[in-house]
Amino acid sequence: MNENRQIHDKKIKKSSSCSEKIFGNRFYPLIFLTIIVFVSVSLVMVVNNMTRVKILAEKDAAIISQLKAIFTDTDDYEPKKDYYIAYRDKQVIGFAFVAKGKGYGGEINIFVGLNTDFTIEQIKILSNTETPGLGTKITEDSFTGQFKGLSFKDVSLSKDGGKIDAITGATISSKAVTDAVRKELEEKIEVIKSDMK
Amino acid sequence: MMPEETKNTNSRRFAKEILKGLVIANPVFVLVLGLCPTLAVTVSIDNALGMSAGVIFVLLGSNLIISMIRKITPQLARIPVYIVVIATFVTILSLVFEAYLPPLHESLGIYLPLIVVNCIILGRAEAFASKNTILLSIADAIGIGVGFALSMIIVSFFREILGTGKLTVFGKTLFSIPVLSSDPLAFFIMPPGAFLVLGLLLALFRWLGVLNNE
Repeated sequence: MNENRQIHDKKIKKSSSCSEKIFGNRFYPLIFLTIIVFVSVSLVMVVNNMTRVKILAEKDAAIISQLKAIFTDTDDYEPKKDYYIAYRDKQVIGFAFVAKGKGYGGEINIFVGLNTDFTIEQIKILSNTETPGLGTKITEDSFTGQFKGLSFKDVSLSKDGGKIDAITGATISSKAVTDAVRKELEEKIEVIKSDMK
Repeated sequence: MMPEETKNTNSRRFAKEILKGLVIANPVFVLVLGLCPTLAVTVSIDNALGMSAGVIFVLLGSNLIISMIRKITPQLARIPVYIVVIATFVTILSLVFEAYLPPLHESLGIYLPLIVVNCIILGRAEAFASKNTILLSIADAIGIGVGFALSMIIVSFFREILGTGKLTVFGKTLFSIPVLSSDPLAFFIMPPGAFLVLGLLLALFRWLGVLNNE
């Protein structure tokens, strides 16, 4: 203990004698780190400002290509505050929105296409971080195809009284998708109905 | 006479540091560092290339800055300083990838931000850049970075061919193996396949004796 202490004291003495006053100051590490963090944050802010517009545009382009994949005959679309309207010959043919679910491995983003009678046209998993080979089966047509034509009352797992069969070994992922779609659907139907009035 | 001589030895050391990272101190096959991305993102050559480009960029940036500030960095706060420097480069990289290469950003997923805690980068900062000149630190970053890229490409080459039966680089299929591509060994794309391929490669490199002179 005592020996350690002495070595420690010696070290401090040595560093304060051989370097300048600032480097020996006990607050110097704190000040140095503060400066580094300040420079770092400023740099990141600059880059963020430069890339923000492009990132948002990329995200929008991804959504629109999904919209076209679901409503193949759409010729026009209109982005609303938190959903999209698809048109053909100036007639509304459907709506689409993104639902977010909390899966087994993180957030699952689901793109939902709706017909004008508020039944589901199609759902697509935009992104997920589920377990490969198990949870990732939510992206397959055998799972997402089950949603076609359902109204929001039927969107729950069959053991909960709905019409969706969970994937064996991936109940949490299946439930996350199903619940997210139902919840978002219920909200969005209200929003769309009040907007259309 | 004198300056020419030092210049000569300098450039020789520069080349030595680059070569060191490729074989003698290859980060994956010899130092066995940075295995998390090596195992996780090597499902395709494209991913391996994207990840390697990211790691080389961050390694160059962090080695450069850390070597520049090595004389004024307080010993007590050095690890936080290194992490902040590395995290800055990773955040910039992540934003740039998201803006200009969204598919790559999507497929690298969480492993891109995880470069911050990649032990190759912090390891080089602590073991090399904090003790050496800027020029040598850059050489070290190039050597280790390219060494990492080579390892990533080798691992993903085997995993992609065995797991999908074909080799695709930047969306272009270079070749496909007739029987394998219709009925691929999907096991090699999965995480256990990564362990198997990496383990066999490590054994192979030992056996070849490439690493005997380490």
